Amino acid sequence: MFLADFHIHSTFSDGKLSIPELVDLYGRQGFGAISITDHLCESKTVIGKAAEFLNRTLTPSNFPFYMEILRSESERAWDQYKMVLIPGFELTKNSMSNYRSAHMVGLGISKFVHADGDVVDLARAIRAQGALAIAAHPVATRKVEKQTYHIWDRREELATELDAWEVASGPFLFDEVARSSLPKIASSDLHAPWQMTSWKTVLYCERKADAVLEAIKKQELDFRFYAEEPKHVYRPWDDVVRLGLSPDSYSTGNLVRA
Amino acid sequence: MLFVWALALTVTVLGTWYALKHLSSAPPHMDAPFALYPVSILKPLKGDERGLLKENLEGFFKLDYPKFELLFSVAQYTDPARRVVEALMAQYPKVRARLIIGAVDVGPNPKVNNLVKSYESAKYDHLLISDSNVRVSPHYLKRVVAHLDNGVGIITAVVSGRNPKSFGGYLEAMYLNTFYARFMLIAQAMKQPCVVGKSMMLSRKAANRFGGIRTLGQFLAEDYMAGLAMEKLGLRSVIMSDPIHQEIGEYSVKDFWNRHVRWGRLRKAQALVPFLVEPLFGAMISGVMGAFVMNMWFHLPVAAVLLFHLLVWGFSDLLLVRKMGSSLKVPVALAWFARELCALPLWLHVASGNTVLWRGRTLQLQRGGMISAQ
Repeated sequence: MFLADFHIHSTFSDGKLSIPELVDLYGRQGFGAISITDHLCESKTVIGKAAEFLNRTLTPSNFPFYMEILRSESERAWDQYKMVLIPGFELTKNSMSNYRSAHMVGLGISKFVHADGDVVDLARAIRAQGALAIAAHPVATRKVEKQTYHIWDRREELATELDAWEVASGPFLFDEVARSSLPKIASSDLHAPWQMTSWKTVLYCERKADAVLEAIKKQELDFRFYAEEPKHVYRPWDDVVRLGLSPDSYSTGNLVRA
Repeated sequence: MLFVWALALTVTVLGTWYALKHLSSAPPHMDAPFALYPVSILKPLKGDERGLLKENLEGFFKLDYPKFELLFSVAQYTDPARRVVEALMAQYPKVRARLIIGAVDVGPNPKVNNLVKSYESAKYDHLLISDSNVRVSPHYLKRVVAHLDNGVGIITAVVSGRNPKSFGGYLEAMYLNTFYARFMLIAQAMKQPCVVGKSMMLSRKAANRFGGIRTLGQFLAEDYMAGLAMEKLGLRSVIMSDPIHQEIGEYSVKDFWNRHVRWGRLRKAQALVPFLVEPLFGAMISGVMGAFVMNMWFHLPVAAVLLFHLLVWGFSDLLLVRKMGSSLKVPVALAWFARELCALPLWLHVASGNTVLWRGRTLQLQRGGMISAQ
């Protein structure tokens, strides 16, 4: 049994920490698997171009370095912490309208995917690599940030195209996803170290990338509120009680590696 | 417009001050145990550098450093650089040196292709990649290694253009000794990686974490990308306190123009926003803007403001030129004017295309600096 976080940003997009710093941050806390998932923005929209000019997105130019650094850091993560590092990205379609905005995490990716195009095509492009396509924060996040409702609005059509839906992003559970029968995953969407306090996924599989992806697909997982700071302001238990969720699947407390 | 003028002048004066301060400082660890840091020096060569290659390379055989090796590489056996290297190796038999022939095609960048074998066969972890057109003093390597520190990924240098023997050469030297030197150091002050391949020391172990030399082969500016990749690893680029000396010699205006079209298009591909505002940081455009604004708002004579502006700017540049080791002769002042006058046409030429001609090949630049052969 180990903790995992599958939505993390590095300095390749808008994160504050470099990939090696993230590996150390999670490795020291005893996490068993993580995925770095930097933004990969559309190349044809004004917002996407702005992200490129400001070096806040993966591009065909920096992608080879991204993958190589992930490769070398995954070796180090294993050697040093026995932690699995899975390559990922977050396809990012940002629009002025929340209802046209969509973020989709790819887990276990190996090739660059252009974020332009319909979300169905993006999900298929991710899965064609043998990777998992995950709906990132598909509903209101309760955070002051751009909201991304497009995927949720098309949930019936996309139900078979995606492998999991984020039931939590950061410290908040999402009512709509929690109550749905969709496959779920919980991640921090970490951009800075203080965001470690958040819901995470608990896995029971072997610490291997394939086994981790398979466990997500089969939904052999639970969720746990991980608190870096003992005196944090969040009340995760309120959400669990309010939504009538099983305490077996939604628990609190930090796991320590055996 | 007033703000832009004031900003341009302030950046120039403060940038010059910072550059002078940096270039006057001593390397931080001159007492380092150099024997513990053996270095493999990689010299990719092509041609005989307009007859200057022997003198350029000879300084590397005279380095005062406890443990180093020289790895010269040429893509083809018939390259004229081969004979020059063989003669020097025979002249300095006690220096550990190797000549490597044959490129490995890892991408469209011929310099990187020429470097692959030396990179992979180098004996030591610390690699100093050095272009064929630079000259060094015996203490050079110690002064580079003296910048090694925790968190340092790459050590590079500003380039000092010296001994021009033609007007094109003076233009080239002026560009290197003022505009490039100042903006490289400003980039460093702003914690932006800015690496020049004329002198670039890195750890192969660290470079292999981003894919090493083979990943860099996709880019024209492998030096800049190496700095960027190191930054993504959390390692910083450092500009050493000595400029590296490039012998200019005979250099035509066409050579100057072509080289700076290439460099400019690289800047455009890799950092579009700074490239777009570049003309505003030229002496002429900002000066004319300032003069007209001061005339409109405060009724000051246009000519007087422009003269004041050019004097301040020119004096800053000439201080920097002197610090970079160039002599101040009459052609220097003429070259300064000419370079400033041609800055806008050059920028427009750069802006008008995305192809570069390099080592006889036309390469198409993509955004981010990747290249494809045409």
